[in-house]
Amino acid sequence: MMPLYLNGAFEYPTAIALATLIGFGFGFVLERAGFGRATILSAQFYGANMRVLKVMFTAIATAAVGLGLLGGVGLVDLSMLSIPETFLWPQLVGGLLFGVGFVVSGYCPGTSIVAATSGNVDALYTLGGIVIGSVAFGFAYPALESFYLSGDMGVVTFDQLLGVSWVWLAAGVAIMAFGAFLGAEKVESWLAGRSKTEAPDHDMPLRNRAFVGLGVAALLGIATLGLPQKTEEITVDVDLISNMDLAESLILAHNDLYLIDLRNPSECASKRIPGAMCLPGDDVEGRFIETLPPTRTLVLYSNEVMTELPNPAKGYKGPVAVLDGTFNSFQSDVLDVPKLPTDPTVENLEEYRLKNALHQQFTGQKTAPVDLKPKATSRAVKKGGGC
Amino acid sequence: MENERPFWNPYLAGVALGLVLLVSYVVMGFGLGASSAPTRVAVAAMHLVAADATEGNPYFSQYVKGGQNPLEDWMVFEVLGVLLGGVIGAYSAGRMKRGTVEMGPNTTRRRRFVFAVLGGGLLGFAARLARGCTSGQALTGGAVLSLGSWVFMLAVFVGAYALAPVMRREWR
Repeated sequence: MMPLYLNGAFEYPTAIALATLIGFGFGFVLERAGFGRATILSAQFYGANMRVLKVMFTAIATAAVGLGLLGGVGLVDLSMLSIPETFLWPQLVGGLLFGVGFVVSGYCPGTSIVAATSGNVDALYTLGGIVIGSVAFGFAYPALESFYLSGDMGVVTFDQLLGVSWVWLAAGVAIMAFGAFLGAEKVESWLAGRSKTEAPDHDMPLRNRAFVGLGVAALLGIATLGLPQKTEEITVDVDLISNMDLAESLILAHNDLYLIDLRNPSECASKRIPGAMCLPGDDVEGRFIETLPPTRTLVLYSNEVMTELPNPAKGYKGPVAVLDGTFNSFQSDVLDVPKLPTDPTVENLEEYRLKNALHQQFTGQKTAPVDLKPKATSRAVKKGGGC
Repeated sequence: MENERPFWNPYLAGVALGLVLLVSYVVMGFGLGASSAPTRVAVAAMHLVAADATEGNPYFSQYVKGGQNPLEDWMVFEVLGVLLGGVIGAYSAGRMKRGTVEMGPNTTRRRRFVFAVLGGGLLGFAARLARGCTSGQALTGGAVLSLGSWVFMLAVFVGAYALAPVMRREWR
């Protein structure tokens, strides 16, 4: 199963050798793409030559389609990929500033490195600027910290956000890219006609072959949806409690449990499940947990679903359960404003009502009239296995 | 230099770049990046000169805390590879030209250098604020369908197009 490194196929020294090799490919392709030249890169923003758009979007579509296909046939576990977290506001503002820096310097960080290697002096100045800028950020950080951490949504991908499978979205990205390319080529030839110069040569047969190849890969990816689903049982040797059951227990029987947040202390301090306790940062052995009287059920959660009893909980004498979810999944299931299902059925309307009631209980915000009838006997913790 | 090889067709280059990213994800589980390597080099240098101040800074400390070496990171080695790839790429295409300056036809070298540093400063600052650059956010995060990365990418284009008319004299 891939990714290989994260599945322990090789060790760190091999990993850094491969990192250098992958970087080599990256640098080589950037050079061949013409990205070592500020005059080519900046031409993107005057419409004269939209190489940046063409290369970037083809690359994004290729990788998205490729990952969807490999994930679909079960070769790559997409859930293991390291995906950049979303911090909406700093990424929006950072993007705008970055765009300004791009057109002012004519480079971005990766391309300035490639440009410098082929002897462009201006790229060395830009690299110097990049170092100065990132050091300046570090010094300004205390003042910027709250903004830097704002809009924290964790890992959010469009497939979870929209509930559409990866392969469909990858195909959508490819179609969007094709549309953008046709538009870009129109703009290029229009501007070339106006200034009586030649538009960039597209080598149509080659371009069309690239489009067709990408389209076929996208269709194959979609076809993998028809493959029989492998149901892999995760072997869990602890009791699991679902997000909804935890939410219910917190409302109806919060005195029956201790809820502990195992994420790092700063994350926990900024936002946690209501009623949760943070673990002191230096307390990896869980001395704090050992001091708790074993009269309640200990419930733990983190950024990942735990498949075995986490270390800090080993000293606890009472019953232990872990959340069958993560902080983020709990947040989206319970703390975020629930969305009305688009295809209402009896089951999902029922679920919506329940979520609404929970949301209201936790946040005090009314979203829609609901009536939740608490169950007469509240289960504090749902047992995963037999008792 | 005579006989400079042409650049690749942009769509072919895009497929090649996408395959490099795909290989990175399949082999390592991580995507590509660039901007954090210069930051790590800078932090390593600062740590040599002023260890206490570097460890005391809440942002830089993440790279040096617990005695870790800021240069011992996959991204640093990856960017080392980018450097080598750039050298071999440019050399094999006959594009190695020491001391060239990339600039528009209507500007001076001096102005070009000033803007190169200024723009670079913005790039470095913004990449840290956004937790990545065109490689780590737009390309990598874009391919794995990350919301924040797409927001970043669109904002980059908006910012660049918005300022492009002001910079016209430098490039066209």
